[in-house]
Amino acid sequence: MSGHPVNGMDDVVHQRVRLGILTIAHEARQVEFSYLRDTLELTAGNLSQHLGVLESAGLITIDKGYAGKRARTWITLTKAGGAALADEIARLKLLINTLEHSGTPPG
Amino acid sequence: MTTESAYSGDDPRRLLSGSRDLIRRVRMAQRATWFPLLVFATVTFGAIPASGIGRGHLGTCMPNPPAGRVCTVYSYLGFSYWPVAFVLAYVAIAVFYIRRSRARGVGTRVRPYAIAGIILALAMTGAVLWSLYHPGAAQALPMVSGLLPLTPGVRYSFAIGLALIVLAWAERNRALLLLIAGYLAVVLQPISFGAANGHGRWAFAPQLVIDGSVLLLGGIGFLLAQRPWRRAA
Repeated sequence: MSGHPVNGMDDVVHQRVRLGILTIAHEARQVEFSYLRDTLELTAGNLSQHLGVLESAGLITIDKGYAGKRARTWITLTKAGGAALADEIARLKLLINTLEHSGTPPG
Repeated sequence: MTTESAYSGDDPRRLLSGSRDLIRRVRMAQRATWFPLLVFATVTFGAIPASGIGRGHLGTCMPNPPAGRVCTVYSYLGFSYWPVAFVLAYVAIAVFYIRRSRARGVGTRVRPYAIAGIILALAMTGAVLWSLYHPGAAQALPMVSGLLPLTPGVRYSFAIGLALIVLAWAERNRALLLLIAGYLAVVLQPISFGAANGHGRWAFAPQLVIDGSVLLLGGIGFLLAQRPWRRAA
């Protein structure tokens, strides 16, 4: 990580909802679609779009199955997803630190 | 329901605090601390009749000059109760956590706890077995008529506490860690209320009542705090 912390930020991860999905998947190990939808207060369609972006980037895997007659979709963080999340959090902390020391109000 | 209402604003502080809030909510949804505490309170209370009612058998004896000889005494029921109860308890806890995880839609962190618990149970069973054949190693224990009472209850209570440390770590649960500190302090400072000077058939019972009560009260406390009947947000 060199230069300004915003340099090298991954646009796939540096997005509020996708950062939320990765955070939850990291903490939960495995998370169900409906939990993400309810917790992040998203529509099913919008959540599906974000999941598609993350899956295409290789940051999560999506497994579909059934629990009885009910269809369930489980999301799991990949190793690359865990690394991307850790990098994003580190850059955010560094950015806050940089902004605080430069006296510039963030946001 | 909106498209991105939950996370508006690009402020890095808000992004970070939003992430922390999500982590807190996931942990709240994952925790079911009350269940293992209540299960092991039941196991501990169940050990009282299991250990006290069984017929005592004389085990290995070794010479112990001033007192004559020192022997181990054990009951089949008391000896087999703890390992069987431990394995059943950890299986029940794992099944409970997995079912709850499926119902709530978040993964569970019970595996390291269940594995640590079963390993500790096996280790304690090995230690109890070893002491059956090496009564001289336990000479620090009080003696009556040259007989040494085996007190596996203390060892298994200790194993319950050690495994709960793993659960506290897995659940990132500081309140549980505090409870375990108190529990281990109680377990490692055995109290007999002077029952038959700490000897006799039921001398171990007060300690197990105290150990079980700490777990029971802790379990009730976590049950009220975590309110599992209310679905986590």
